[in-house]
Amino acid sequence: MHWLINRLGRAILTIVGTVSLSFVMIRLIPGGPLDYLRGQIRNQNPGMSSDAIDALVEAQAAINPDQSIVEQYVSYMSSVFQGDLGTSTWYGDPVNQILIEALPWTLFVMALSLLFTFAIGIGLGAVMAYKEGSRFDYTFSSVSIFFNSIPYYVLGVLFLFVLSYQMDLFPTGGRSSDAVPVGFSVAFLLDALYHAALPVLSFVLTRFGFQALAMRGNSINVLGENYLRAAKIRGLPGRRIAFQYVGRNAVLPLYTTLMISIGTMFGGAVILEEIFAYPGIGYYMFQAIDARDYPLMMGAFIIITTAIVAAILFADLTYGLIDPRASGGETRETY
Amino acid sequence: MSPGKDVVLDVEGARVQFEMDRGVARVLDDVDLSVSREEIFGIVGESGSGKSMLAASMLDAVEDPGVLSGSITYYPSPDEPVDILELSAEELRQLRWEEIAMVFQGALDSFNPTLRIGQHFQETLSAHNVDRQSGMERARELLSDLYLEPEQVLASHPHELSGGMRQRALIALALLLEPEVLVMDEPTGALDLLMQRSILSLIKKLQRKYNLTIVFISHDLPLVANLADRIGVMYAFDLVEVGTAEDVVEGARHPYTRALLKAVPNLETPYAEMQPIAGRAPDPVSVPKGCSYAERCPLADDQCLDVHPPYDDLTDEHRVACYYPEEAPAAIPLPFEDQSVERPDDPPEAAGAAPGKEGSR
Ligand SMILES: Nc1ncnc2c1ncn2[C@@H]1O[C@H](COP(=O)(O)OP(=O)(O)OP(=O)(O)O)[C@@H](O)[C@H]1O
Ligand code: SF4
Ligand SMILES: [Mg+2]
Repeated sequence: MHWLINRLGRAILTIVGTVSLSFVMIRLIPGGPLDYLRGQIRNQNPGMSSDAIDALVEAQAAINPDQSIVEQYVSYMSSVFQGDLGTSTWYGDPVNQILIEALPWTLFVMALSLLFTFAIGIGLGAVMAYKEGSRFDYTFSSVSIFFNSIPYYVLGVLFLFVLSYQMDLFPTGGRSSDAVPVGFSVAFLLDALYHAALPVLSFVLTRFGFQALAMRGNSINVLGENYLRAAKIRGLPGRRIAFQYVGRNAVLPLYTTLMISIGTMFGGAVILEEIFAYPGIGYYMFQAIDARDYPLMMGAFIIITTAIVAAILFADLTYGLIDPRASGGETRETY
Repeated sequence: MSPGKDVVLDVEGARVQFEMDRGVARVLDDVDLSVSREEIFGIVGESGSGKSMLAASMLDAVEDPGVLSGSITYYPSPDEPVDILELSAEELRQLRWEEIAMVFQGALDSFNPTLRIGQHFQETLSAHNVDRQSGMERARELLSDLYLEPEQVLASHPHELSGGMRQRALIALALLLEPEVLVMDEPTGALDLLMQRSILSLIKKLQRKYNLTIVFISHDLPLVANLADRIGVMYAFDLVEVGTAEDVVEGARHPYTRALLKAVPNLETPYAEMQPIAGRAPDPVSVPKGCSYAERCPLADDQCLDVHPPYDDLTDEHRVACYYPEEAPAAIPLPFEDQSVERPDDPPEAAGAAPGKEGSR
């Protein structure tokens, strides 16, 4: 229990720390975003007085000029803790509303990507290990390494260009078609899948190889373990050996990788959603950076940070449930 | 070997070969051995001599790509031979653990780290269609026999137990299905001295209580001498001397056995303090055509180098694969035998090889 509180506290501290750091960076660093904004306004309006420019900058960055930086920080953080992320200067809507509407779509894409990445990775890795040294093993090891070395955004751009623009097989943007009404219908689900297909494919194809090779290595290790030999000689059924012995022990180490992938995938989502014009959290973050929409930028940033920290915390808390060796907890470190 | 004896396991011409790039490695070379019902048969030999291969052969459990040939016959009763190498996969599956069980070398990781100890017992029971209730009762009794707290151990994960506890839990698991024969491959390898000795007395106790036949494998001759009724000494993939414990310890006739004994100042000396025997064992890819010990043997002559020595049956029980069993005691004197006064200044390292090479030319 003590350990749980400790972990939770650390997670919250991590989030607060990162958010504070980005808040300070945006405002204070010379040559940072605010200076950039100021310079841009000056260039566009050469005659403007510096007071007027400051006023414009403050309006656009949603800064209250009467407050010191410390006061601004305190008031921003306290509204964040009350769940208020401010108002987007570009869209004019509350940041909360924009992000809450976008979040499910990002989660949808990420969940599909993770599911396929791990399902393919684990399945393929297990078969490769089982057929170690065969042609199959050799071929798919090479394929895995090949795809794993392509950056996801390169594949994304390639897909978009060839499959969407050239061949017209997939949409060039959007989350669903206007023609299909939003709701819990098969048509809507299929339409959503159709729109999510290319971003998901870009993720899955560039990531399954890593998981497959990791699974392959883990399985081969387990196949050489004494307990596996003992299980065979005790005459346990093949299915039990495959799942409870090889499968379980080989998949366990992948669990932490899975949770950490959630973090890196959120990072990737920013770029992929922009490439595919897919309005999720990442897409809005990109738009916000483009438009110097600081409240929206900070809001998206907070959501992404929180998601990453939450995923790692979740991995940490649940790992003990699936791996008995880790259930001691107190002495363990994941991050 | 001797007719009329109640043999439970008969190994004849057991051979294990591995195809390798360098050639064929023969890591078990036509081993003959009979284990009698309810005896403790000890097998000793240095590392790499083929002890684990012999153990695995007894359950037809040599791992791929090793190929086992020869014949292994199991006698559930004296007139009911079961040819183990001819069994179907399912018959073999049932024979293992129900009739012949095994404690592996490296026993400390013989449990699946993600399962509780109790689950190992349960899955074994259901794999062999044994009633879970009575099976688990036997598990508890066995664990108590081994001075373990049954409920606590069954509910633990392997990593929560000490090495000695895991070792004993593994022995209990091996005896779960009431096997006739228990093969133990270095069951004390990873334990400290005190733990080794206490496991030995437990093994003796279990043998008596459950009328077990035990094949006990170790590289630690003093340990085996304290436990076994009969001892087989392995050298270079074959048995070179077999006899009762007294025959082998007090009347050793094979130069290798004597060198082993000489390396041990007394039978209480721990293995770690023993002096190594000079020279190296042959490579399994190219075992010499003559006596495999000739290169290290002080008695070796041309005959030894040319023709593999057949067994010399000194008595009904005691056989030695050597041309000069009568000369061996004088040539390799032991410190705790009277004849050792012949060459009292011999340093222990000189237990063989150097004079051997010259003597053979
Ligand atoms: N997979 C394999 N391929 C080829 N040779 C092997 C293989 N496994 C074992 N051997 C060889 O078989 C021989 C006998 O091995 P074994 O494991 O029976 O020795 P051991 O007497 O049990 O030794 P230790 O005391 O170290 O356990 C060794 O020389 C070893 O090099
Ligand atoms: S005397 Fe000859 S046969 Fe006997 S062990 Fe020595 S070399 Fe082998
Ligand atoms: Mg061994």
